[in-house]
Amino acid sequence: MYLKITPKKLIQWLDGLKAQAEVLTPAKVDGVWTYTLSDLQTLPQHYFNSCIPPKSLFFPSLQALLGWRSSDSSLQLSSTPPPDGQRAILGLRPCDARALRILEPVFLKDYQDVFYSQNLLRTLLLGQACRAQCQGSFCEEMGIDPQDSVDVDLFFREVPGGYLARVITEKGKDLARGGDFFEESSAGEWNAARREIGGKRDNPIFDLEKVKARVGERFPDEDFWRRVSDKCINCGICTYLCPTCHCFDLCDLQMPGQGVRFRCFDSCAFPGFTKMAVHNPREEKWRRYRQRVSHKFNFFYQNFQAVACVGCGRCVIHCPVNLDLREVLLAIAQ
Amino acid sequence: MNEQVQEKNIYQPHLMEITKVIPETGDTKTFHIQFQDASLRESFSFLAGQFAEYSVFGEGEATFCISSSPTRMGRLEFSVKRVGRVTHALHQLNEGDPIGFRGPYGNHFPLDKLKGKNLLFIGGGIGLAPLRSLIHNVVDTRADYREITILYGARSPQDLCFRYDLESWGGNPTLTIVTTVDVGDNNWKGKVGLVPMVLEEIKPSSKETIAITCGPPIMIRYTLKSLEKLGFTPSQVWTTLEMKMKCGLGKCGRCNIGPLYVCKDGPVFSLEEIQRFVSDEF
Repeated sequence: MYLKITPKKLIQWLDGLKAQAEVLTPAKVDGVWTYTLSDLQTLPQHYFNSCIPPKSLFFPSLQALLGWRSSDSSLQLSSTPPPDGQRAILGLRPCDARALRILEPVFLKDYQDVFYSQNLLRTLLLGQACRAQCQGSFCEEMGIDPQDSVDVDLFFREVPGGYLARVITEKGKDLARGGDFFEESSAGEWNAARREIGGKRDNPIFDLEKVKARVGERFPDEDFWRRVSDKCINCGICTYLCPTCHCFDLCDLQMPGQGVRFRCFDSCAFPGFTKMAVHNPREEKWRRYRQRVSHKFNFFYQNFQAVACVGCGRCVIHCPVNLDLREVLLAIAQ
Repeated sequence: MNEQVQEKNIYQPHLMEITKVIPETGDTKTFHIQFQDASLRESFSFLAGQFAEYSVFGEGEATFCISSSPTRMGRLEFSVKRVGRVTHALHQLNEGDPIGFRGPYGNHFPLDKLKGKNLLFIGGGIGLAPLRSLIHNVVDTRADYREITILYGARSPQDLCFRYDLESWGGNPTLTIVTTVDVGDNNWKGKVGLVPMVLEEIKPSSKETIAITCGPPIMIRYTLKSLEKLGFTPSQVWTTLEMKMKCGLGKCGRCNIGPLYVCKDGPVFSLEEIQRFVSDEF
């Protein structure tokens, strides 16, 4: 099902949503692109991938899980209530939307993480087609179409005079139906609205199938991993900004008479991540880098039949020493 | 507090009370604990080999196996060597103090594969803790198993854990128990030597036998070699793997080796399984 809408009506429709939901859009906050509450004066346009991925709206860098009050004679625990309140995210890119789907089994399978599941349930995902290749990105190599997505509720393409919307979910359909904001469109119009991606490369950098086929064989090759990880400085920014990295730590904060246990991001790039009393299986940097790449392209795939990378390019452009994952993947494939 | 919400929060521990603290060695203590909620004392169950996350509120959580046996419910026991932040905090606790408990997590020893076999337990130091859960379990259902041999080693006589168990097993005519220390003293009557050396000396038959081992990584490494020399095949050898853990739920990523999460897919593995996936990281 396809719909169309003018920018003015889209703002009115979103204004209507605001009565029941927070509306978040990509915006620059304190010099950093992220997703934040919008006043809806304007619609997001000509923006690239945010620096902080929308993952943080579902799996925040800091999440209180429980608290306690204690005295000499007693200790009472209280569970942190799961997040509530409806929200809509406008302007999600196809790569980031896919990343949310990739993370789903991690948090929902076997033991369901109520913080993640509630964040998914309470959020309407409104995707938007990319118009230009983001710096450092390799989404198409990862099989992601920058102009389409089925990982959201509604997906928008900009056209002269407004937007076309592809309806993906029942939730999206129900919300678009209210009022007379949207008009009918067609698959023909939708297909005609596909644009050439600005700055698109002529040839892919690497072949994902070859990476998947060879990453396991590469695992024992210590020289290879030493070589490709040589300049890594263990800063962990690639993991913090990665839309699919999900390793975390559990920590306690004790204050007089009360305390909080929270979950915070952690990183396999840090030497302390696997440190035990008498042994650290990943004391050396090359082992940690190997773990990160192998987990994403091999182990995660074995467990969940999806590669834990969407080619967003954040790790490439924010790496302080220009360690380019694309070059490493190309080397693995060769 | 919203009860329904609490049940859904997988990170929320149960409150337990310490009912007894037993000093095992200079740096190791065993804690007996009981659920504060009386209904949980009845409904809680686990299997030998499973572990839990134990909290000292304000210091954090740490992972230990449940060292008591599922055949001896009423209380749970776990043993802690003092090495880091949470273990130091645990060692400060006394009878009556509250602690947090999440579990049981992970898989368990394969009782169905042990039935009708000879069992050879090989433990080192605090590594006796998970084996002890299984040993009590098989002792309590003794008729299901054939010969049971326990080889246990520590650095010195003062470093032997669970001396009260060693004594009771020693007095049980249906068990063979061999203890060894790296360095003895004037009163020491057991063997002197490293566990793998003593294993090769006592030469247990591999026929119809399952070996279950747990101890420091270096001991396990050489014990596996000795077992191979004695004719044990990889499917006859079981061990528990140690990896840093935080969540115990297969989410936080710490204990991941290859496609496995030690917390969820382990901690009990056969040597056959380990050889298939463990690379150069162990």
